[in-house]
Amino acid sequence: MSVDNDRVGGDEEAFLRRVAHGDERAFRAIYDRYARSVYSLAVGLLRDPQQAEEVTQEVFLAIWRGAAQFDADRGRARTWILSLAHHRTVDAIRRQRVRAAEPLDPAVPAPSDAAEEAIRGVEGARVRDALARLSPVQREAIGLAYYGGYTQEEIARRLGVPLGTVKTRMRDGMMRLRDLLGNARSEVETT
Amino acid sequence: MTHEEIRESLAAYALDAVDEDARRTVETHLQACSECAAEVEALRGAAAALAAGVPVVAPPPGLRAQVLAAVRGERTTTRVPRIWIAGLAAAAGLIIALAGLSFSLSRELAAQRAQLAAQEQLVAMVGRPSARAITLQGTVEGNVRFVYDPQSRQGMLVVTRLRDPGRGLVYQLWLVAGQTPESAGVFRPAPDRPVLLPVTADFGRYGAVAISVERAPVGAPRPTSAPVLSSSL
Ligand SMILES: [Zn+2]
Repeated sequence: MSVDNDRVGGDEEAFLRRVAHGDERAFRAIYDRYARSVYSLAVGLLRDPQQAEEVTQEVFLAIWRGAAQFDADRGRARTWILSLAHHRTVDAIRRQRVRAAEPLDPAVPAPSDAAEEAIRGVEGARVRDALARLSPVQREAIGLAYYGGYTQEEIARRLGVPLGTVKTRMRDGMMRLRDLLGNARSEVETT
Repeated sequence: MTHEEIRESLAAYALDAVDEDARRTVETHLQACSECAAEVEALRGAAAALAAGVPVVAPPPGLRAQVLAAVRGERTTTRVPRIWIAGLAAAAGLIIALAGLSFSLSRELAAQRAQLAAQEQLVAMVGRPSARAITLQGTVEGNVRFVYDPQSRQGMLVVTRLRDPGRGLVYQLWLVAGQTPESAGVFRPAPDRPVLLPVTADFGRYGAVAISVERAPVGAPRPTSAPVLSSSL
């Protein structure tokens, strides 16, 4: 994923603090820096531009209202914003599924299965390489969760394995991903 | 759940792969356990990196202006002291209405914008010392309040719960001056979210508000039936 040069620069955490104090210019800069990532995530997972637009708006309103809850000692602005975006997107996916009564029975294939497709089509080279270093079952569990929006219980049912097995796969896989991806603190994906 | 059990769920939590109950359980634990909190932060960093796995799509060009307008709308309301909003809103039972309104964010966009604007107006209004809130009562069960500020002449009907008026019918809100009802708009309740109906009027002129059932879609110039709900102002 390419990232535009922008006015936020290196210290996004300071920008979020300004947003917490009601600084609209700082908010605009955060929007310009993250709108593309947030919208891409929402539309990639939801497969519905209209809903993705609504989720994106929700996310930025939540950033505006909740910037004071961001704790720079705990983590990075990027993590906070993308976690918020993922959470809201997954909420929307679950509402979508309730409406569509999408079958979760493993015997019945789900109609629009973004997850497997997303795992196969992962774009960022760094993410693709990191996922490739997981075991296939770890990759499957993490992919269904992150790109598919499924809960661990749904994944267990879907794969026909005990919940404890799914937890272990997610945990081991995420530890590995954390080592491969999470420690590149100064990273900005540059592909 | 114990610290050990929570630890087992942290990866799933960081991936948003837990249901709402489990999520709350984990979050309560994170408040008290710095070890788990630190681990979640690291796991979240890894999860957030997965966002780069989706194809990059530019957001619609109009979205930026929309988001900034929504934020600017909130700015005007944040000047109202929050303590006022909390106190008065609780007194009026509006907390429930406001909580319910956030659901509207995921609804159809035009309705959402209108609702959002109304919500902002409502929050601004209940923040004013001169604002009042009354509950309408009558022959149908429901939760219907009227919030109004005589000084700014702004009012809002807040319908949190009310049964459907029936096919081809709407509820019509009336402001009653002496013996004369004047229409203040029509509405249909929504089963899953509060409905807000903004009203601008010189409230000093009116002694009561009332709601009757009238024919859809526009209602009637004068009430054709006895009010089902009412209250004096
Ligand atoms: Zn713990």
